[in-house]
Amino acid sequence: MDFQASLFIELFARTFSFWYVILPAILLGLVVGAIPGFSAANTIIILLPLTLAMDPEVGLIFMVALYASSRMGAGIPAILVNIPGTAGAAATPLDGYPMTQQGHAHQALSISFVSSVFGGLLTTVMALLAMPWLSQVAYYLHSVEMIVVMLFGISLIATIAAKDTLKGLIAGFFGLMIGLIGADVIYATPRGTFGFLELYDKVPLIPALVGLFAVSEAFVVMERQSIVSDAGRQRMEEAGWAETWEGVCMAFSRWWHITWTSIIGLVIGVVPGAGASIAAFVAYQQSKTFSKTPELYGTGHIEGLVAPESANNGVTSGTLIPLLVIGIPGGATAAIMLVVLQYHGVTVGPDLFMDDPNLAYGPFSAMAVTYFIMIFTILPLARYMSKITVVSTNYMAPLIISFTLVGSFVSREYAFDMYLAVVFGVIGYVARKTGYHVAAILIGVILGPLLETYFLRAMKMSQGDIMVIFSSSLGNVLWVFLFISIGIPYYMDWRRARQKEREA
Amino acid sequence: MSEISAPAAQDSAVRERKPVGGELIIPIAGLLFTAYYFTTITDSPWTAQVSAYFVGAILTLLIAIFLVKTFIAVSGGRADLGLGPLIAPKEFVRKRLILFGLMLAYCYLVQFGGFTLTTFVFMTAGMIVLTDGGNKRFIAILCAFLAFGGWALFILAFDTRFPDGPFEKLMEWLL
Repeated sequence: MDFQASLFIELFARTFSFWYVILPAILLGLVVGAIPGFSAANTIIILLPLTLAMDPEVGLIFMVALYASSRMGAGIPAILVNIPGTAGAAATPLDGYPMTQQGHAHQALSISFVSSVFGGLLTTVMALLAMPWLSQVAYYLHSVEMIVVMLFGISLIATIAAKDTLKGLIAGFFGLMIGLIGADVIYATPRGTFGFLELYDKVPLIPALVGLFAVSEAFVVMERQSIVSDAGRQRMEEAGWAETWEGVCMAFSRWWHITWTSIIGLVIGVVPGAGASIAAFVAYQQSKTFSKTPELYGTGHIEGLVAPESANNGVTSGTLIPLLVIGIPGGATAAIMLVVLQYHGVTVGPDLFMDDPNLAYGPFSAMAVTYFIMIFTILPLARYMSKITVVSTNYMAPLIISFTLVGSFVSREYAFDMYLAVVFGVIGYVARKTGYHVAAILIGVILGPLLETYFLRAMKMSQGDIMVIFSSSLGNVLWVFLFISIGIPYYMDWRRARQKEREA
Repeated sequence: MSEISAPAAQDSAVRERKPVGGELIIPIAGLLFTAYYFTTITDSPWTAQVSAYFVGAILTLLIAIFLVKTFIAVSGGRADLGLGPLIAPKEFVRKRLILFGLMLAYCYLVQFGGFTLTTFVFMTAGMIVLTDGGNKRFIAILCAFLAFGGWALFILAFDTRFPDGPFEKLMEWLL
């Protein structure tokens, strides 16, 4: 797996020659990423007959381009209408949407695009160089460590997303309980299903996403004439290329922020199952912790938008590392890629890098080329996309409800899933109106089944001894970090208050 | 003078109380759901129960702290059990309820009417309600365009498995 510069150059030149595959994949990815309920994984599954018919290298390039662009596409509705296209963009509206409300949608989209592209590009190159070492991360995290990682995710979101940490934790753990609905993975006993057969296979994520974010937002947003404030509306109407360029410059001036938050995404992406949503929230929390102006986060702060967008694009290349090096997919889309590769008789693992380096390193060069092409195709669209925010909410609300509700039907084709989205919509509405952050509930629903799987494995290995969760040295270190991460916001508030007192 | 200012001060104190009734809905729902969940795992093996007890116990503890904090605030006169922000602004309550009813009707009818027709009817009705009557002709044309555009993009171009009805079947037959 030694890396050679000549191979690197050759690879990029070769991948550029597939521009005719990459370009349509980018456009498709941007569309499906922006629509809640349409993930890259679903689209790749729908297009499976097409990718299976392609040459494995071309098929892989197509899938990677679609995957990377859908990640960026998911941030567009998150910024413009407060509805993330996928769970990975759940942290994006924290500062992206307030920017839109203030009439800075042009700048917000440009910042998101630049952070995504450069975060993605940078981590792709890093992944290429550091692949042999990064792939080892997954080996050190077993069931016990993963339990702490999951709890870490929930506590971070609780401390970041909600103004009141206690409410944030309640929302997160309520989400975890909902995530535990369904038959357990070992004994297949149904739990908490209210007798609905449709819930035996866990709570489906798309209705949860649609309900918590889209339906509830539609009911809240109808109270205003427009998403943007009156002053913001005027700014939006006067905005043009200068504002787009201003956003680009704002993002570039924070190049260091993009760099380190995207590295967080890369490292978390390597851990199977951790995913873009955790990476985005971890990056946001770290960004806030080390900021000189943490009080500005959540009010439309540039760094609060840069951090999650860089991190969730950093995850994209991270998920491919364990897939190609040890054959363990880091996420749903990577798992589908594995299926396609296996269909073509390709065995992933260390041998692939020697037997067929074009195929082994190909996904990373495809990702880098995708990001490069994307910056030229998407930036000019920012000013046109942002116009959607000046449309009256009287027209937006029914449109959002109908298109997203029916989107929740698509994945399983159960009418039940639309009613489930309505139930989540009610929960989301109550949560939004009473200060419980919907992102914390959603992340809980996502992490619930994963937490339980790791719990079950740990219990099986320890023959039912609960103390097994404190049996690993690495796990114990992570426990300490977990408590520190919950305590840090309180400590920082206390320190700032004391400093102010001294100054006074 | 003092007779007038005393009730005014009292009134002001009442108004300053934070309505926290709405904030109790999620914790109470969480508590009830946790209790129900525990009843469904009583016969499961210990290894399968432990994660639920772990998460449920932490959630119950957090809710208990929240309820105690709320009780102290209410008994101290700093808060009351009003629903406040949950239903505000009150002039939108009627519209919200109608839209919610339309949404439930949409979920039921889309299975028979198909995506395009049901979406058209729902959006038209929803927009007319939200605009207080609005320009019905403009709304109908806009919704027809959006519903047809949705059909062309999702069903025709992406072959998405949306619920089909008379319109989708007719178009399939025609194309």
